Amino acid sequence: MVNYGGDEVSALVIDIGTSSLRAGYAGDDAPKAIIPTAYGYHPALPDNDVTMSDHVEGSPSDKPKYRNIYIGQSGPSVWREGMEIANPVVEGLIQDFHPIKPLIDHALTKVMRVNSSEHPVLVTEPTWNTTANRERMAEIMFEEFNVPAFYIANTGVLNAFAAGKGTALVVDIGQSMASVTPVVDGFVLRKGLSYSPLPKLIHAHARHLLVSPTSHRRGIELFPHQLIASKSPVDVNALPNYQLRQNRIAGTTNSWRNWAENREVDEWLQTVAGVLEPGWNDQLVAQRPPRQYEFPTGYNTYFGRERYEVGEQYFYHSPQLIVRIYFSGILLICLIKHICMEASNANLPKNIMALIGDALRTCDIELRQVLAGNIVLTGGGSQFTGVADRLASEITRTFPHGKIHAPGNPIERRYGGWLGGSILASLGTFHQLWISREEWQEHGKAIVAQRCK
Amino acid sequence: MAASAADIRSALSLPEGSASAGPSQPKKAHTNTRKPDGISRELYSLIGPSAPSLAAQLAKPRLKQKPNFGGTVPRTKWEIRTFKNPARQDGLELKHWERSSDDPAAEYRFAKYNIQPTNYTYSQDEYTRFLDDNEWTKEETDYLFSVVQDFDSRWYIIYDRYAYPNGLTRSLEDLKDRYYSVCRKLVRNRPWAGDEAGRAQLLSSFQFDKDREITRKKYILSLENRTPDQIAEEEALYVEVKRLEHNERKFKKDRENLLRILAGIDSGLPDVVEDDGGPLGVLADGVGMSAGGAGSSRKKTTKKGTQAAADVETPSTPSVAGTPAIKRPNPVKNAAYDAQHCIVRVETPATGAATKAAHQPAYLRSYKLPTPKAAIAPKITQALAELGISLTRLVMPTRETTALLETLLENTTILIETKRQVDKVDYDIQVLKNRLASRDQSQPADGGEATKTEGRNGMEINGASTAAEAEGEDGRAQSVMSARSARSRKHPRRSVSVSSVDTTSTRAGPKRQKRG
Repeated sequence: MVNYGGDEVSALVIDIGTSSLRAGYAGDDAPKAIIPTAYGYHPALPDNDVTMSDHVEGSPSDKPKYRNIYIGQSGPSVWREGMEIANPVVEGLIQDFHPIKPLIDHALTKVMRVNSSEHPVLVTEPTWNTTANRERMAEIMFEEFNVPAFYIANTGVLNAFAAGKGTALVVDIGQSMASVTPVVDGFVLRKGLSYSPLPKLIHAHARHLLVSPTSHRRGIELFPHQLIASKSPVDVNALPNYQLRQNRIAGTTNSWRNWAENREVDEWLQTVAGVLEPGWNDQLVAQRPPRQYEFPTGYNTYFGRERYEVGEQYFYHSPQLIVRIYFSGILLICLIKHICMEASNANLPKNIMALIGDALRTCDIELRQVLAGNIVLTGGGSQFTGVADRLASEITRTFPHGKIHAPGNPIERRYGGWLGGSILASLGTFHQLWISREEWQEHGKAIVAQRCK
Repeated sequence: MAASAADIRSALSLPEGSASAGPSQPKKAHTNTRKPDGISRELYSLIGPSAPSLAAQLAKPRLKQKPNFGGTVPRTKWEIRTFKNPARQDGLELKHWERSSDDPAAEYRFAKYNIQPTNYTYSQDEYTRFLDDNEWTKEETDYLFSVVQDFDSRWYIIYDRYAYPNGLTRSLEDLKDRYYSVCRKLVRNRPWAGDEAGRAQLLSSFQFDKDREITRKKYILSLENRTPDQIAEEEALYVEVKRLEHNERKFKKDRENLLRILAGIDSGLPDVVEDDGGPLGVLADGVGMSAGGAGSSRKKTTKKGTQAAADVETPSTPSVAGTPAIKRPNPVKNAAYDAQHCIVRVETPATGAATKAAHQPAYLRSYKLPTPKAAIAPKITQALAELGISLTRLVMPTRETTALLETLLENTTILIETKRQVDKVDYDIQVLKNRLASRDQSQPADGGEATKTEGRNGMEINGASTAAEAEGEDGRAQSVMSARSARSRKHPRRSVSVSSVDTTSTRAGPKRQKRG
């Protein structure tokens, strides 16, 4: 027991990301509860007399925007009339704390069925988290969940721990953000952090690619299953034959529709899209067999070159493409297009290699070798077909001694942050770092910054 | 009935209690022996207990035995207990599972890993006295120390998190320099309880050379910024240097082997030094040179070799020449040392280059005992015998006795030589007398003048012939002898050998070598 330094105090680990909220016991190798972070809600009526859901205990001046909230596996994915969808996490940061309590509560009490007042809780945060955010999180945990002890740890550090490294360059590709975090001796080098909403660009590109008509096919309709009453099989590239649930169309909100369509795009991305391992090569693309994909409407077609064009955005942006994405549907005269291109290039999310380069450049020269030799690839987005191999080949081209650690186990890749938290919170030597309820009451919010460095 | 059966048996002389008992008989076999496992009852009744080997093979198949974890030790009981971590200041109690046999009052076992590094603090007075610096205020120094303490001297992180409000931007080296210099000053100026060595060690642990660090980082940066072409070129040069070094080493080895074969195993070979200077040594001279590296290393080697050869040539020491790596004591020190230890040093011939030919290895003095020249050896022996001296080997060839023997032989040689010359001159006189007598008889008056010239001519012509040989030899031998004796006494035999007409250095060279 002492041999591996573990001492389990049945702590809970909560890792909140853009796509899902993970919760589980420290010491486990996978989270017990994985629920989507997005939630469905019926908007609060402008009239204040309406009783609010008793989940919510926000300050009176800052009322939540929802009347009813739908959380969990049968939360946003179930169609409800007039249900809006929202995500409290924007660009990795929690922007709206109102639904956080119900989300965590759902994971702990409904899924895991634990009493939060009996367990110390470790929560994760992205490196670019703000002080106010982490203090708010501590407040929620202590005041609303009555946890005996609390700690907030950095996902970059936790991902490095999950890979068994104290010093690493963590390349985390999530659903909305791609970040590169240098970690040294279990501490993040904040100056070296670089991140960009690159996955969003990929997503936008994919969506644009699917919905816009091309020479050989019409724009694809991304109706989700929930809106389709019936369909019949059709030939490849034939017009889909389906019936919509007309009774639902009217009650469908834009946000839900958008959310559901994005899920279809994600599904397509995860199934079909990929990256060419050795780098972009027209001949190689032509050699790769096209892949068939069927949408919920029944429409099915083969995707060849397109599926690699999407993934290529992780590593290389072509300026024309960007203009096409950002300004599609808008007719622009050539001059304006040119100006916009310049402007958009400045705002373009950095690709992975640029992020890694930036991160390494800001680090001390002595650290670069060490970090380049300990690159940890993690995050659900890194499971994009071929990304790991492509990154490895790009790294060896730029840094001859670079080495990538990319776990083969998808759980380790997707929930690396949670797993690192699970490791950390089950260590015997860690238990002196918890912020106890007593300390919270004595020192207040200042203790968070003081303890969680 | 039973009795009658026994009677019949005894009458028929049948064995008692055989297996062929009739059905009416009680089954004795079954009561006496137990049926072994794995054999059916019917079969056992047929074959009886007489087939043990067969029965053993027919063991009844069994399920795999349950593993016995922990043997007979009773099961460990675990119970959930609250514990306090002494590393914490507050009273947080967490729960974990522990063996019920463990001592509940024992200290939390992970608390011992909570080690705090020593932190230096200073008072206002100390700051103003020792630590004042133009570039740093006390507040900023305080801040630096707090950050260092927060991050346990992890400098990369300290540099990353260092953000003194309205302060200058400090480099990592600035921060380190300030911190270590303050620590050094504090250690130096405070009273020290322990010994000086401990203090010096502590001081050395706070040593930090800012300029050197900056230079080092610059160097790393320049390494990093090499283009692939430069890296490839460097690789190629490195390989080239390696190859040259290898060649050099191989050449030296070959040469050494050759010399060993030619000059014998115990010829010291001090000038052949295996150059095992690593590639770094060569590379330090500059990466750009390729052939130059090997050249310079060779030059160094030969220079070292010369010095070593000069040091080693001390024939009076009967040991094999030491390795050139051993530094000899300097000559000034030698004079006293030598006198004390009766060491006599011999002047080494000041040859320009330490060639193999000029090298003189160590030898035993008895090998160098002077021996008379083979041609006149019997005469010398005879002369010495006449004088009553036995010319056998010296019992103890010390330096003095050897020198004496040398003089003796030299003198004897001279004596013999002189005697021979005297004989010759006597003989010449005799011949001339005879000729004079014969001439007086044949030509009493007239050819006196002519004969004289003829005789002179004849003598001159005969200078190269046998008759006149003695005369030419005579004059030269004399002069050479005188020159020789003035030059040195070390070459006694040469004085004899040089008696022939041709005494050039070219011949002297090989002779001397042969002797050596």
